[in-house]
Amino acid sequence: MKSRHSQQHLRPLLLTGLALLAAACSDTGEPASQSTTTPPPATGTPPPSTGSEITPDDASEFLNQATFGATNDEIALVQDGGYEEWLLAEFDKPQGSFLEPVLLVEASGTDAGSDELTETFWTQSILGEDQLRQRVGFALSQIIVASFADGELEDRPVAMANFMDIVTAGAFGDFRQTLENVTYSPAMAIWLTYLQNQRADEEGIVVPDENYAREVMQLFTIGTLDLAPNGDLILDGNGDPIETYSNDDVTELAKVFTGLSWAEESRFFSRPSTNRSEFLPLVMFDEEHSPEEKTFLGTTIPEGTLGDTSISIALDTLFAHPNTPPFISRQLIQRLVTSNPSSSYVGRVADAFRTGSFATPEGRTIGAGTRGDMRAVVAAILLDPEARDDAFGAGIQYGKLREPVIRFTQWARAFGVNNTSVDNLNIVQDTRGPDSLNQQAYRSPSVFNFYRPGYVQPGSESAAAGLVAPELQITTSASVTGYANFITEFIFDDDERTQFAPDYSTELALASDPAALVDHLNTLLASGQLSDGVRTQIIDAITAITEDTNDFTRDELRVRTAILFVMTSVDYIVSR
Amino acid sequence: MSQPTKLSRRNFLQTGTALSLGAATGFANDMMRFNAFAADVSGYRAIVCVFLFGGMDGHDTVIPFDTENYNAYANIRRELLNRYEGNEGGSTRERSRLLPLNLTNAADFGGREFALPPELGPIHDLIDTGNGAIVSNVGPLVAPMNRTEFQNRTVPRPPRLFSHNDQQSVWMSSEPEGARFGWGGRIADMSAASSGNPDATFTAVSASGNTVFLQGENVGQFQVGNNGPEEIRGLSDDDLFGAAALPGAYEDTLRSNGINLSNLLQRDFSNIMDRSIDANRTLRASFQEAAPFSTEFPNSRLGRQLQVVARIIALRSTLGVGRQIFFVSDGGYDTHSNQHENLPRRHAGIAASMRSFYDTMVELGISQDVTQFTAADFGRTLTINRDGTDHGWGGHHFVLGGGVDGARMVGDFPLPISDHNQDAGNGRLIPTTSVDQFAGTLGNWFGLTDSELDTALPGLQNFSQRNLGLFT
Repeated sequence: MKSRHSQQHLRPLLLTGLALLAAACSDTGEPASQSTTTPPPATGTPPPSTGSEITPDDASEFLNQATFGATNDEIALVQDGGYEEWLLAEFDKPQGSFLEPVLLVEASGTDAGSDELTETFWTQSILGEDQLRQRVGFALSQIIVASFADGELEDRPVAMANFMDIVTAGAFGDFRQTLENVTYSPAMAIWLTYLQNQRADEEGIVVPDENYAREVMQLFTIGTLDLAPNGDLILDGNGDPIETYSNDDVTELAKVFTGLSWAEESRFFSRPSTNRSEFLPLVMFDEEHSPEEKTFLGTTIPEGTLGDTSISIALDTLFAHPNTPPFISRQLIQRLVTSNPSSSYVGRVADAFRTGSFATPEGRTIGAGTRGDMRAVVAAILLDPEARDDAFGAGIQYGKLREPVIRFTQWARAFGVNNTSVDNLNIVQDTRGPDSLNQQAYRSPSVFNFYRPGYVQPGSESAAAGLVAPELQITTSASVTGYANFITEFIFDDDERTQFAPDYSTELALASDPAALVDHLNTLLASGQLSDGVRTQIIDAITAITEDTNDFTRDELRVRTAILFVMTSVDYIVSR
Repeated sequence: MSQPTKLSRRNFLQTGTALSLGAATGFANDMMRFNAFAADVSGYRAIVCVFLFGGMDGHDTVIPFDTENYNAYANIRRELLNRYEGNEGGSTRERSRLLPLNLTNAADFGGREFALPPELGPIHDLIDTGNGAIVSNVGPLVAPMNRTEFQNRTVPRPPRLFSHNDQQSVWMSSEPEGARFGWGGRIADMSAASSGNPDATFTAVSASGNTVFLQGENVGQFQVGNNGPEEIRGLSDDDLFGAAALPGAYEDTLRSNGINLSNLLQRDFSNIMDRSIDANRTLRASFQEAAPFSTEFPNSRLGRQLQVVARIIALRSTLGVGRQIFFVSDGGYDTHSNQHENLPRRHAGIAASMRSFYDTMVELGISQDVTQFTAADFGRTLTINRDGTDHGWGGHHFVLGGGVDGARMVGDFPLPISDHNQDAGNGRLIPTTSVDQFAGTLGNWFGLTDSELDTALPGLQNFSQRNLGLFT
């Protein structure tokens, strides 16, 4: 009757979480460790012979694509071992968990909520060792979106944190498995309303909820328009794009996502009685699953097929669809590297998705050779000439706006923030508003993310040139002010704050030499992309600071002012 | 989009009846528009779009009230109505609790009667007192279309039907996601050109972020924060940097003054930054002088947005604007689930906020000159999925303001049954009034000439009724 579905990739993580939970119960008062500490892998192999010299600016650019922000130590590591060594080491790092800290709070008898979800994200993104997985996971979370802006998910932080772990595991996982883990996750089922979704009644007066059926196609796998292998639109004889599915496909596929409810509960309409039900995969109640034949996208699931089998066939269909590799690949490139990748770049990454294999510039093969192996996709994105070759950065159409969330984590990582507690710190508890970052991880207003991959800024020069500019969707006359004031508060107002407190000692040592200070910040924050004009403006500005004030010494002011000027300059905001 | 012969014929037929001889016959030109047929931009007029993101269920907003149709509706929706009965205070969908609409054009609907749920009481009052109307079953259309034409694809469809982001965009711009200009902005283009005030910083203002709706080819949009204009701290806080020259230097870097930008994303960002600094600075200076309203607004997201809009309208003389278009929004209308809990709450919210806004316009003495209207991604299915509804197409919307020819419902209202001639399946209504007709009516009230409307709304020429007659 009821079948248990497996979330293969997540088993170890869940077990770790449970073990920790057990430990926490018996060992009260011990603070949760904030991150998994893994020493950097020994770099025994010699530096790559094929790659040319990696400059600090090159390394910084790579790290600002691949992590939540470059640090001086990581820049040195990349320069020393090369990009590929760094990637391989990251692939082997254990996954830091979003769920563990939430379970620990719950185990202490406190109801967790949005603050715990917010804090667990800041902690992993700023302090987590598995930076590449976390960053790609954040990118994936903006394609496969669930959000605790939803009241029920805010009230079920265990389900939400479990979803965050599933998506993050997906960064290096098998895409088909991730799709399945997501489909069976309680959080997604709450968010897109298919939890306890029932078959149609006999009169046909009540039909299955179509929400997940539509969005899993439109947003998570194939999109609305037929794509060539390189992501270009396929056009019909009139030159018009071809829609991938009709509303009939949606109503048919909706029948597939019926019959799912909480694990370890006896009845379909039970509510979860334990935290375990909130993080275990949903289970199928076949008597509530639509027994009818289901036909969509050219696939027919025979009448009477059991629920889990129906879902498996449906997900296989979406995974095998020719749109899925370019649809997902292009969006991941947009999140990590550039808003308007060339068709050939998308094609190369989509090939890695299809084959599950990527041949690196240094002659390695990354990926298991099965479709949807995301390690191959990630390597293909980050090692591509269009990501690595500086020549592309000079193009007037190249680059992307840095996401506001990542500007903030970049600052925190660059300047050694080591306390990411959000207790009583309103400014980091909710960063959704235009008077703040206008963005918060896993707290998007809808399943359409903070911005759309196809967003065109109305009336803009990029629009006139036919470009998309996703992050411009959250860039408004209100939000540019909000971001500047948000980051100013962190840069300047740290006198009485131990949380998110920066360590500027490296920078203070340079403050008597304004050019040296600005050049250091240029590399660390802007990957050397400040134009000569902006660089000179900032040097001149901080040179004009000659006196101590009541709050700061001259050097403290110079450091803070230089960081603010860099982080609000257009050369920083748009990475190229 | 390619257009079949049938549509072309339709265009041709309409040319004979349309007033817009210029545009319809292809001879429109700028000289004609700006001289002989210039928009009337005398006095003051403002349009406020209240966009309901997620797609409001029209079936659960304007409800059949005559016994026969109420019963048909209640039968199709009985599982949802059962859930309403579990709400605190009982079901507000009981016929006895609905607020019947006393329409002056009731004869247009034969013996059929309609009502609003009690949560919309403040809007019902405005309609009843002649200061509000309903546009029924309005939505994007390329040309008039019925069920057969929809199924046989003999009339072109709007692109990407039933998809949230695309239908939001189609509603605002007639194009799916990626559109560059919206009809609010295009209407503003025309009025700004005629007013001789092309510096139109405060002509199109959004209190809800970026929106293609407000973007014209010339008129751009200013996005104001929920709390009004804000200033970048280092520019106004003399003490921050400890050196007098620094705020100026900071502004230079923020605005890339003296820097030659070639990258297009950088140029776009820099333009946003310039507009932000300039417009916030202008608005801050005026905002501080303005007297507060006696009308109170709900302390909700929509309430705050509408309050900011009202405050900007109050400054119209100082800002030197005679025509303004605003965009505000509310979210949470994608009621696939828990509609019985969520929709009444949302309804109560918009009713209170829009009523406060109307009352404020009365207080300012310009309620005749300011019109609010609702819009949404789409309406929803009549068929339910037990506790919710799915994506549809046409929906029912409100137009509120002292200039409205109120107490009326304009347009057809399909029966609350399945498989009628405007049913695209499961009660997804094929619109009987197009967004272009709705926009054309607002544009006409805004002062645009017929030929200007044809330029701003190219789809309008596919409909014989160019004006819905919503205004006195």
